[in-house]
Amino acid sequence: MSASASSPVMCRAPQRPASCDLCVVREQSICADLGPRELVEVEKTMARRTVAKGRALMQEGEPNDSLYVLVQGSFRLLKHLEDGRRQITGFIFPGDFVGVRPTGESAYTAEALEDSFVCCFPHKFLDAIADRCPDVKDRLIARGQTEYHKAQDHIVLLGKKTAEERVESFLHLVAKSIGGDGDGAVTETPLPMPRQDIADYLGLRLETLSRTLAALKKRGAIRELSRRSVVLATPSD
Amino acid sequence: MHFDGSVTARDLTEKLSEVQLYDPLSLYVHVPFCRQLCWYCGCNMRVENYYTRAREYVEALKTEIALQAGILAGRGVPTSMHFGGGTPNYLLCDDLADILGAVEREIGLTDSADLAIELDPRLLRDDDIHHLVSIGFNRFSLGVQDFDPDVQAAINRLQSFDLIESCVSDIRAGGVDDVSFDILYGLPRQTEASFAQTIEKVIALSPDRVSVFGYAHLPDLLPHQRLIDSETLPDETLRAELAEAADASLTGAGYRRIGFDHYAKPDNALAMAASVGRLKRNFQGFTDDAAMTQIGFGASAISYVDGLYAQNEKSVGAYMETVRRGETPVARGLVRTKRETVTAAAISDLLCRLETDISAVLKAAPPADAIRVCSALERFESDGIIHWRGDAIVIAEGAHLLARAVATAFDPYVQPQIEYAAAV
Repeated sequence: MSASASSPVMCRAPQRPASCDLCVVREQSICADLGPRELVEVEKTMARRTVAKGRALMQEGEPNDSLYVLVQGSFRLLKHLEDGRRQITGFIFPGDFVGVRPTGESAYTAEALEDSFVCCFPHKFLDAIADRCPDVKDRLIARGQTEYHKAQDHIVLLGKKTAEERVESFLHLVAKSIGGDGDGAVTETPLPMPRQDIADYLGLRLETLSRTLAALKKRGAIRELSRRSVVLATPSD
Repeated sequence: MHFDGSVTARDLTEKLSEVQLYDPLSLYVHVPFCRQLCWYCGCNMRVENYYTRAREYVEALKTEIALQAGILAGRGVPTSMHFGGGTPNYLLCDDLADILGAVEREIGLTDSADLAIELDPRLLRDDDIHHLVSIGFNRFSLGVQDFDPDVQAAINRLQSFDLIESCVSDIRAGGVDDVSFDILYGLPRQTEASFAQTIEKVIALSPDRVSVFGYAHLPDLLPHQRLIDSETLPDETLRAELAEAADASLTGAGYRRIGFDHYAKPDNALAMAASVGRLKRNFQGFTDDAAMTQIGFGASAISYVDGLYAQNEKSVGAYMETVRRGETPVARGLVRTKRETVTAAAISDLLCRLETDISAVLKAAPPADAIRVCSALERFESDGIIHWRGDAIVIAEGAHLLARAVATAFDPYVQPQIEYAAAV
């Protein structure tokens, strides 16, 4: 497999789902813990939505009353400081959730890094079916990562004391989130976010990130690297 | 501010451990070394002839950065970093880069953080500015003080106009759009004519910001100021005239007055922050930085976290020794009460915007003090220095130089300065 810059690697399920039956992400994580009857209930109130690259799914400071499951594509989470500076607080990949609690004032903005596809579950409907389908919300998100997991990941990364450790851990985290086939075969991991976003997220300057990526490549921790994807060395390398 | 030894390293550690993941941090690094003594100086500095000493100091700074980073454990986002002195560019560029690298590694440093440095133009080596820009500095502050050779001789700081001019042009060539000058009035041998020429030269060099400070002659407190002949100092009337003339020239040249002693071009970040009321005052002067938490590194540096002020050991020796033992070098500080916090906010607001709502100050003060504040303000009002707008006091047009004097009316620690002239 070659990592050429000309063909960007999408963060996606192999097939765009036409209905829940065809949702490949679901087999991996989303909705997997729902029984057939629950799925029918949930599906009735669920909406599917495409979000174009650069558009926001939810905006910092604005109300949000839906739980979103990312099926295809990727998002970045960001917060704005009082003076207009922005802080990248996480990345959302297929199988991840945002909007876990309804809020009058969202703590962050979720912005699509590529044309993306989400399933949208209004909290009021999830709550309304709770007596027929107990804990439906909890089981819905049982397998995926939420924004709370993302904050946990972030603090662990930022606590690491060398740039190499931070960058390498980050790449492995992305590879794991997007999910290789897990059999040790070489897989290309998409990097849908700009390098500046990665640097900001890791508390590094862009120049340090570039230098560190080059060092990781030299050391063999990275096998191939392009603008939009990376091939990490497997443990056997 | 009245610091004492009741504040210890443990207090700072406790406060720093409450910093949240995305809280903005403002970092300050103090470089206490200078090549030679300027006689007017009121900073914590020492003349150092051996660079090995500075190298040791850089190592101590890196140790201190790692110590505090261990407490933060990945929490907090540095949004600005300021190198002050002394003379920060006493340090070689490689050592400054070394400090930035330590911050990036230990605490995190991104491209969006503002990196500011105070420069002594006389110490700049050939390629320094280029090098400083390339390692990320994007705000430069030059200690200009006065362009008149007579005045420069009287304060032991000789630097030609050509030197400053070439320094500014090097900074501009690096694409930096934030150059600021420090100017002092009240220096020995200053005359109206000489100071007018200084301001004219300042305007010709077109810095983005100008700070015009009054020189405070306190020879009993700062022994080296005895080197200045007090007979040659401008009297109070002349001091006021110098400050007013500088104000008229700078505003006439299109600078916006920020608070009572800063000026900025209208498109400068500081001026824009002032126009939306987002300006704050910290130890380095006015700032548009949103950070409420400041962490200071180096001898005498001050940290501020959630009502706690903690100052490091002032002496370089004691500072380095403490850090080498692996201890946070806090020597003194203070904890602000609710009343002090609202009072400080009101004073800062008054100095930044020239008006402030004082209802919170009056509510937090004991009744007798509230009456004292009101009667002091009444005197300022009857003298035409302030007027009221609802619960807010507003400094009268043309009276901005008295903002500091008015601010003393709230300060529970000082007697209000009714002798206005002495405060200007």
